Amino acid sequence: MAQQRRLTGYRRPDGSVGTRNHVAILPVDDLSNSAAEGIASLVPGTLALPHAFGRLQFGDDLDLTFRTLIGIGANPNVAAVIVIGIEPNWTDVVADGIAKTGKPVHRIAIEGRGDLRVIESASRYAKKFLQDASEVTREPVDRSDIVLSMKDGESDTTTGLGSCRVTAHLVDRWVDSGGTMIFGETSELTGGEHLIAERCVSEEVRKRFQGFYDDYVEMIEQTGANLLGSQPTQGNIAGGLSTIEEKAMGNIVKTGSVPIMGALAPAEAPSGPGLHFMDTSSAAAECVTLMAAGRGVVNLFPTGQGNVIGNPVQPVVKISANPKTTSAMSDHIDVDCSDVLTQEATVEQAGDALIDLVERTINGRVTASEALNHREFTLTKLYRSA
Amino acid sequence: MSAPRPDFLAHRSGDAVGVAVRDLTPGPVTGGYLDSDAVEELQLAHEVPLGHKVAIRDIREGDDVIEYGVRTAIASQDIARGDYVHTHNVRSARWLSSVA
Repeated sequence: MAQQRRLTGYRRPDGSVGTRNHVAILPVDDLSNSAAEGIASLVPGTLALPHAFGRLQFGDDLDLTFRTLIGIGANPNVAAVIVIGIEPNWTDVVADGIAKTGKPVHRIAIEGRGDLRVIESASRYAKKFLQDASEVTREPVDRSDIVLSMKDGESDTTTGLGSCRVTAHLVDRWVDSGGTMIFGETSELTGGEHLIAERCVSEEVRKRFQGFYDDYVEMIEQTGANLLGSQPTQGNIAGGLSTIEEKAMGNIVKTGSVPIMGALAPAEAPSGPGLHFMDTSSAAAECVTLMAAGRGVVNLFPTGQGNVIGNPVQPVVKISANPKTTSAMSDHIDVDCSDVLTQEATVEQAGDALIDLVERTINGRVTASEALNHREFTLTKLYRSA
Repeated sequence: MSAPRPDFLAHRSGDAVGVAVRDLTPGPVTGGYLDSDAVEELQLAHEVPLGHKVAIRDIREGDDVIEYGVRTAIASQDIARGDYVHTHNVRSARWLSSVA
């Protein structure tokens, strides 16, 4: 077992711990993207988070958008937030939700002012927040303070044989140390969903998990569509995966052997330590965004064929055991564990190397996806707007 | 790890398929299991690229294909030990509309 590294992070007013220190400029709706990007261009160093939705949504779909935007603002990697909406009411919903964390939040609506007045006014707050955030210093933290999330993408059979087993080594140790982990990808449990249900810590958690699973898969199956090329993706198939069940088993391997303590709605934050399931799509940007809203501060991302995704709020660590990918796409890979595939390294050795890299990422090391400016921020839409 | 530098690996004893860990060409190949020291030696009938599957036992059309110790597919045609296994000869047992 590798010697435990000293961890540092940014402790927020609500006690949560971040690995990054962003000042976010968060639009409530698509109409406010332009003003948000205007502020970020006037105050470089702030982080605009443009997205495609937020208008005429209703019911569960609207609740999910609110929960996602509030969760992103509340994420411990965010020091302070400017919330901009076209009108004041929904702007207040998002700003009030984030303000419960105790972090600085400024809100402004565009109607009655116009973009340029909003940009001028809000930029002064953005400048102050950026200067204040620059004095928030890292302090010693423990694994138990850190919420990690995980998702695999462009999987192939090497993920199940290599990178997901290496990730599982980290999961079991992180949870043993009191840490919190989130996995998801609801449809990508098909064929092995009983293995997840069996690991749920209580009947209540098991029922909630099974409800999420049944609803999601019923939605897919009732279309009657041929999913070959969608789930599994064309890349999955090119990498050797033949069915959803085979892909699912790789996804499940990476969750390790610890009990499942909670079943979370999309973008819901875990209420305690341990491993939690979150009901999500398997599309990488949607899933990692929901997990960031669920307060994940670093995402572990095993990939086979080489998915290039990043996220603006939680850094994404790429892990691959496919030697063709680690060679051809080395620019995107943080951890090469292809020697596990050829049995020249053990899962324990590669897993300890992954833990070391993840802990350095927590401490501020820039990941490949951060260095390459991958900032995919994608809201999950449940159905059409009114 | 009794088969150093195996050509293919299977997850569990009893699995019907293994995964090529390098690009394989037809002829004799050697495989191992993640959960045992057993060694599989077989004649590969086709080219199997890295990450793609080889049958390590005969599978009849309609039979479950076992991998990771669970059913991951159903054979859509007869498959012989040593054959290349992919969407042309296996399909999902759960999503019946998802066929190549």
